[in-house]
Amino acid sequence: MNISTDIWVWIAALLTLFIYSFLYKDNPFYKFAEHLFIGIGVGYTTVLLWFNSVIPKLWNPLVHGTSPMRFFLIIPILIGALMFSIFSKKNNWLIRIPIAIYIGAGSGLAIPLDFEGLIFEQVKGTILTKSMFNSFIVGFSSIVLFIGVIATLVYFYFSKEHKGFVGKTARVGIFYIMIAFGASFGYTVMARVSLLIGRMQFLLHNWLGIIK
Amino acid sequence: MMILLILSLSVKAFDTPNDGGGSITIEVVGLNGDLKNGYVYRNSMEDTTFELRGLISRTSYKYVDDGAENGKEYLYKVELEFDDTTLTLFTGPVSAKAQWYDPTRTSVLIFLIIFSGFVLWFIQLARKNPEGLFIRKIPALDAIDEAVGRSTEMGKPTFFIHGLSGITDAGTLAALTILRRVSSKVAEYETPLIVTNYDPIVMAASSETVKQAYAEVGKIDNFNEKNIVYLTYEQFGYTAGVDGLMIRENPGAVFLQGYFYAESLILAETGHSVGAIQIAGTTAATQLPFFIAACDYVLIGEETLAASSYIGREPVMLGSVKGSDYGKLFIMIFIGIGVIFATIATILNIKGNSILMNAFNTFMGWL
Amino acid sequence: MRFFEKILKIDRRWIFLIVGIVVIIPLIFPIGMPVLTTPPVRSLYNYVDKLQGTGKAVMLVTDFDPSTMPELLPMACAILRHCFAKKIPVYLYGGLYSAYVGMAEMALEKTLPDFPDLQYGKDYIFLGYVPGVSLVILGMGGSISGTFNTDYYGNKLDTLPLNKMVDNYKNIGIVIDLSGSASPETWVIYGYQRFGVRIGVGTTAVSAAQYYPMLQTGQFVGMLGGLKGAAEYEQLIKKAGIPTGRLEATIGMDAQSFVHIFLIFIIILGNIAFLITKKRKV
Repeated sequence: MNISTDIWVWIAALLTLFIYSFLYKDNPFYKFAEHLFIGIGVGYTTVLLWFNSVIPKLWNPLVHGTSPMRFFLIIPILIGALMFSIFSKKNNWLIRIPIAIYIGAGSGLAIPLDFEGLIFEQVKGTILTKSMFNSFIVGFSSIVLFIGVIATLVYFYFSKEHKGFVGKTARVGIFYIMIAFGASFGYTVMARVSLLIGRMQFLLHNWLGIIK
Repeated sequence: MMILLILSLSVKAFDTPNDGGGSITIEVVGLNGDLKNGYVYRNSMEDTTFELRGLISRTSYKYVDDGAENGKEYLYKVELEFDDTTLTLFTGPVSAKAQWYDPTRTSVLIFLIIFSGFVLWFIQLARKNPEGLFIRKIPALDAIDEAVGRSTEMGKPTFFIHGLSGITDAGTLAALTILRRVSSKVAEYETPLIVTNYDPIVMAASSETVKQAYAEVGKIDNFNEKNIVYLTYEQFGYTAGVDGLMIRENPGAVFLQGYFYAESLILAETGHSVGAIQIAGTTAATQLPFFIAACDYVLIGEETLAASSYIGREPVMLGSVKGSDYGKLFIMIFIGIGVIFATIATILNIKGNSILMNAFNTFMGWL
Repeated sequence: MRFFEKILKIDRRWIFLIVGIVVIIPLIFPIGMPVLTTPPVRSLYNYVDKLQGTGKAVMLVTDFDPSTMPELLPMACAILRHCFAKKIPVYLYGGLYSAYVGMAEMALEKTLPDFPDLQYGKDYIFLGYVPGVSLVILGMGGSISGTFNTDYYGNKLDTLPLNKMVDNYKNIGIVIDLSGSASPETWVIYGYQRFGVRIGVGTTAVSAAQYYPMLQTGQFVGMLGGLKGAAEYEQLIKKAGIPTGRLEATIGMDAQSFVHIFLIFIIILGNIAFLITKKRKV
């Protein structure tokens, strides 16, 4: 056993144990750790945002820059400041301006690329071609995938009742959906266990020095 | 041979096509694999010095200079090293510029027009005649009446728990429409309704929605503003608050509607432990497995939006659901035609006729 | 019957305790179960390996925070060790959001001691944080030094030898995004679709399932999924004789396997108990 003498390791270990004490029942130690986490999280994010975004991208160019173009920065600053109009009952309609610009520009940038990356590539990957049948497993998987994509799309088709052929295809679709959710659930359980393992490794190796 | 090669060689520089500017392509024409090295130098026409920019590619015989300023003219010198000799060629002046339209993305434009066209067309139709557009009934909607009825019989309150997204999220807007339906039922049955909120703006919208529902049923006096609860803007603080309320108030029915994150299973489990019938609906795909495991009915992803369109018949949401339905139909037909086309092209290709296969490959490349 | 009723009513705290014990015991008394590598991990490993000697760099992006550190930090360390050992230049980018930079620093602290011959600025560069998310990805397509100006330590990027050779995606062989959120999709959409730069992904197990479609279409070169993915990469670099340091992910695999066995057992037991008690009530 080789217990750590680093004060920060001890603080991290104790806070970990305080949080895990909630598994037994709610208690003041858990409440203390939770509130500390929330407070530090907010403070840390605020400071990072201030020193990594506001100062280098707004303050320094405006105050210390030399280019006459730097005064154009005032325009996005004023538009961004309109977000605070939400607090005024009379003028809260002004918030629509920055939201509209943000959503408009964001959509214009994202939608064509989303189409290419998330729809076209997936459609191309679903269309069965000869190269997919070079190996039996890939060929079989491609057919299963093709059936799954069509059946799932039919399940989420709301303009027709799920009766007859459409109903049967939708049933196949929900079967695929449930298998996908089961896989996702299993993966999530694995992820949560991995996080527990990581914390245990910290306690047993970094703090107590029981494991190498 | 070398003399013939030298005579056939030329170099050209041009603005790189289909880009946002700042790029010039230098291409050597007439090479056939004898090149040892090719160096590209650039002069900005402000003085006589040429600076080394990079090497000609030994496969494409091109070099792309990405450091050019738009509108500024440059001269290029290309030094080609062969086994026995070195050749220097000049080209220019040439300048880079941005193109307004990238023709390689024409497929995206066409599909965008088609999909947007569907949505806009159906929004127009929905505005003229909302009842005329058919949306199938989502099975979980029947469960809303059943859940509220059960709550009333047991003399317990009904809970409506909003997710963690803001008022601009489509899932939140759909949740508000479902809240309207739930509020009408609880107002009719005189069951207490508690609505928990994460976002203050969503709380304001929820309060208005519930108040209106009570007014429509003629029971505005039964509306209690204190039951529309704002808890906190902190994820697990909200979760702890909702859990505490559920354990104290012991609801008969719980509705979890909106966008949820890691707290989804904690909320659903607590609702299950108090014996409530639970109806969840979320567009958060990662949380759906948890709701399906712990809740009685689940509106999966887009079903939330379809359910809200079915109930509310709001033209924009209804038109969007119908438009996206036709978009999905288009994709299904497209995939089907693609498979048939690929199959026929492959069969013909095996028999020696490659026209269709070439056409198919060209189309897939264009896409 | 009573047994099955008791099973259904068991206090969940007993299950928490058993899970805790099942995790701790294999960590203290390791068995060393074999870790078999899967095609998505091998694919990513081979792609990175082939960059040796090409002059192209690897951009490793640490798009995660301490909440997903147990799964993703071992991946970052393993990939860095792989690149450092094979003398593949590295751009270590601290992530699309400001809170992630500390993770990149931790990965460097854990790996650099095993590679004392490395030269900063020539073998690797540590980029800090710049706001903009997708705009940063787009900006790097034009010029990395134009987007960042300085590295994490304040050095001007255009004074660093590596940046003189690699200033945009053209000379970046692969961008490997380690993330617990949706940023790999952002890299595919703005990096791969726009500029053609190849993307590899290391992700938490929560998100792994949703990225298989992109792996299948070839938008991702390869994928490391969760702690298992990290363990597989560690085994691949160990097999190649690269200094591995403490194999954090591999060490956790025994515990992972035993917990999974326990969970499968109680799920089956719980379902049997449910069906039997339901049948008896009817």
